[in-house]
Amino acid sequence: MSVTSAHSAPHSDTAAIQSATIETRDWLIAAAAAIVALIALYAVFMDNGSLISATGDYLHEFAHDGRHLFGAPCH
Amino acid sequence: MPTSPNSPNSPTAPRTSSDPSPDPSPDPSPDSSSTLSPDSSSDPPGESPKSPETTEASAAPEAADTSRTTHAPTRTGGSPVLPLLGRGMVAGALGGLAAGLFSLLLAEPLMDKAIRAEEARSHEHEPAGGAVQHHEELFSRSTQHAGLVIALVVAGLAIGVLFAVAYALVHRRDPRGNPWPRALAFCAAAFCAVSLFPALRYPAAPPGVGDAGTVGDRQEMWLGAVVIGVLGMFLVWQVYVRLAARPVPVRQCAVAVTAVAVLALLWALPDNPDPVPVSATLLWDFRMLSLASHVLLWAVFAGVFGGLGLRALRTREPVTSGAAGYGSTAPVS
Repeated sequence: MSVTSAHSAPHSDTAAIQSATIETRDWLIAAAAAIVALIALYAVFMDNGSLISATGDYLHEFAHDGRHLFGAPCH
Repeated sequence: MPTSPNSPNSPTAPRTSSDPSPDPSPDPSPDSSSTLSPDSSSDPPGESPKSPETTEASAAPEAADTSRTTHAPTRTGGSPVLPLLGRGMVAGALGGLAAGLFSLLLAEPLMDKAIRAEEARSHEHEPAGGAVQHHEELFSRSTQHAGLVIALVVAGLAIGVLFAVAYALVHRRDPRGNPWPRALAFCAAAFCAVSLFPALRYPAAPPGVGDAGTVGDRQEMWLGAVVIGVLGMFLVWQVYVRLAARPVPVRQCAVAVTAVAVLALLWALPDNPDPVPVSATLLWDFRMLSLASHVLLWAVFAGVFGGLGLRALRTREPVTSGAAGYGSTAPVS
């Protein structure tokens, strides 16, 4: 995904196609980041020991005070 | 008044006045675009013609030459979502850190007090010497104090990512507006959606309040409140955009009525089933501190996100692009 051809004339179709490709890629990265963010929020605010069985209640207890403060339900 | 871009390759086609933007700020356009639309003064706020926009294809060459932003690869078109993502994460981390340190100083003493009170209550009810099984067993209180800050920073980062994606989606048709009032307006909406509205329906409870048996139900209710808040603020935005042609008072009243209706809808959710066996003073103080930390998170977030947007604008677009006034004297209404 070279960007060097962007230095060429502005009329070229390749520049437009390239731009669209880069845009698509950017939005895919953003979507992936959003999914990771949702998982992180689940881990911090919703997990009751079920996200990763090995962690048990550790995630929940570590974030315990943060959950209470943020208003997330806690036990 | 030209109402639509003449052609995709026209670098000076002004944006149409029907461009849907929730942003009430007209862009300062100290260039020729104002002369193209002498009737712009009759437009409602937010509907004045935007600065000349270049299409991405024709913008690419000059961007490749001039843009040296602090955000990694040089942008040659494409969408501005990745720089926004970076700004959102920085703003979220700083906002979460501010809220975390604030709560560490002010809310943790209250939480420790609430836990001591809870333990005292448990001892009253279980005098048989049975060790009270409370949730301190996994981590010490001091670890949980640190966990508070870390949890809020992680949450801030995640919120920053989601915020940036939503911001990029909402402003994708007009990515070059003034980032400062946009950030403030968007943060105000996000604060209502994910912090204020859910907190009004299900106020924060200190440790010691909350039955482990109902936590699943309460999570569903809380999630429902957040979802209603987010969808509700989306609805508010749509009302604001779609009434663009109406007089400003009509528009603003419709927005207010919609927001109140969303708030009222939250009471369709079931009540929190748990008893609250703590003193009213402690409860009030804790809830105020909880809300204050939310406010702090969003205030810091708005300032950092908007400020980074302004800085990127100054770095990327020097005086020629009509964005010269953004940094200091941009009008915000």
